[in-house]
Amino acid sequence: MKKAFKRIFKTGWLNFKRNRYLSMGTTGIMTLVLLLFSGLLVLNYVSGQIVTGLEEKVDISIYFKGDASEAQIIEVKQSLEANPEVALVKYTSKDKALEEFKERHAGDALIQQSLAELEDNPLQASLNIKANDSNQYTSIVSFIEGNKFRPIIDKINFYENETVINRVQGISKGIGNWGLIVTIILSFVAVMVTFNTIRLTIYNQKNEIEIMRLVGGSNWHIKAPYLIEGAFYGVFATIIALVIFYPALWFISSKVGILLPGISLIGYFASNIYQFVPLILFLGVLLGVISSWIAIRRFLKI
Amino acid sequence: MIEIKDLTKIFEDFTALDGVDLEIKDGEFVSLVGPSGSGKSTLMRLMTRELTPTSGEVIIDGINIADLSVSEIPLLRRKIGTIFQDFKLLSNKNAFENVAFALEVSGAEAEEIQEDVPKVLNIVGLSDKVKNFPHQMSGGERQRLAIARALIHRPRILLADEPTGNLDMLNSYDVVKLLMKINEFGTTVILATHNREIVNTVGQRVISMEKGKVIRDQNQQGKYIL
Repeated sequence: MKKAFKRIFKTGWLNFKRNRYLSMGTTGIMTLVLLLFSGLLVLNYVSGQIVTGLEEKVDISIYFKGDASEAQIIEVKQSLEANPEVALVKYTSKDKALEEFKERHAGDALIQQSLAELEDNPLQASLNIKANDSNQYTSIVSFIEGNKFRPIIDKINFYENETVINRVQGISKGIGNWGLIVTIILSFVAVMVTFNTIRLTIYNQKNEIEIMRLVGGSNWHIKAPYLIEGAFYGVFATIIALVIFYPALWFISSKVGILLPGISLIGYFASNIYQFVPLILFLGVLLGVISSWIAIRRFLKI
Repeated sequence: MIEIKDLTKIFEDFTALDGVDLEIKDGEFVSLVGPSGSGKSTLMRLMTRELTPTSGEVIIDGINIADLSVSEIPLLRRKIGTIFQDFKLLSNKNAFENVAFALEVSGAEAEEIQEDVPKVLNIVGLSDKVKNFPHQMSGGERQRLAIARALIHRPRILLADEPTGNLDMLNSYDVVKLLMKINEFGTTVILATHNREIVNTVGQRVISMEKGKVIRDQNQQGKYIL
């Protein structure tokens, strides 16, 4: 049994090694597929991080008209807090707003001067709302819109952020979809190329296969070396893809870090190496084995 | 025991076998004669299930071989040894390895290979050529090597398709004598050949074929007649 397995493995390896140039092309195209797939994972991670980051910054601010009384505002606050979708409501009174404004512009003499000249507090009281989930903002907004206090509310500030989030999600979804389509097409090409390589091996070994058949070689002994050969393309493609992927990731990680502080690509893919590497290996071996399986079914008659 | 019932094989527009009925008992030595294209090889390939019949049955030891599953076909082929005019040896393997290969691909253990291969090479008289490659051997030796490989599974039946086609008279006799010796040990031998001298030397059952039909079946002391 052990010897049989060794023979199958050795024959598969020899098949892989003997067609050196053909193997290189096959491995190359498969590497490309795996790199594309890895790229998709990177994209997925980056856009996910951006969206999460934006979502954390999303909130709704309701600005009240000057004539709204504090009691009314507190009532609005309470009705919002009763809403299960709302996580947190923070109240900023007119005076507090002015205070914060002054603080923020403490160094700006011109602003301080103009504020001092004003008799009235020009700033508005506001409520700042955080939802449990970013999908709930729209429904919270419509809750406020339909509220009986709507007349004392001056403006609801939410829509700007929503557009940004939608745009990020849209772009990443778009790139993701196209990436997936390209990956699928390229996977198909890789399967075709591998399939043809194995078909050639089978063709070159017509004599051996015929002899194996006529001496009563078991089907497994005849077929398995080609499956192993297919798997080898996957294994080598994985190795090459990883050798390219991690340095490339390291290279762009610092650039992405500048653009999007708080995101460490290399950190993420290094800490998830035990999930990422087996996934890529599985994909590569799967592509190789599927290709040889098709070739065997098509060209290897028992 | 091989029973062939109304066996027909049609390749697209060519009828290779046309309603053949035969019965071959265990331990027989049968010579199959007839011109090229008379259906001898097709008949043999149907027996090893390399081909499937258009209609009719091949029954070996009571089993219709058309009923065998894909995984059972190798077991049938271990029961039937085959040799050919062109030997079908692997040129990159030496004599020992060529025979061992047949055991390896059927999943034999290493000890079995080490034990059985020299024995069978001894039977065919190639004990001194164990390490020789096919190109270092004469035609007769190559065919004997092919016979050794065919015998390694201790087959009940040996099919020889024109085994002497590439050999001179002397080597041909060697091979046929070997086949007769194998037959004496109890293996059924079916020999397809063009060679009149050889058939007449064997002098056993002779089945003559023409255009896919059996035209003559001489049971004892058969001669090559066309």
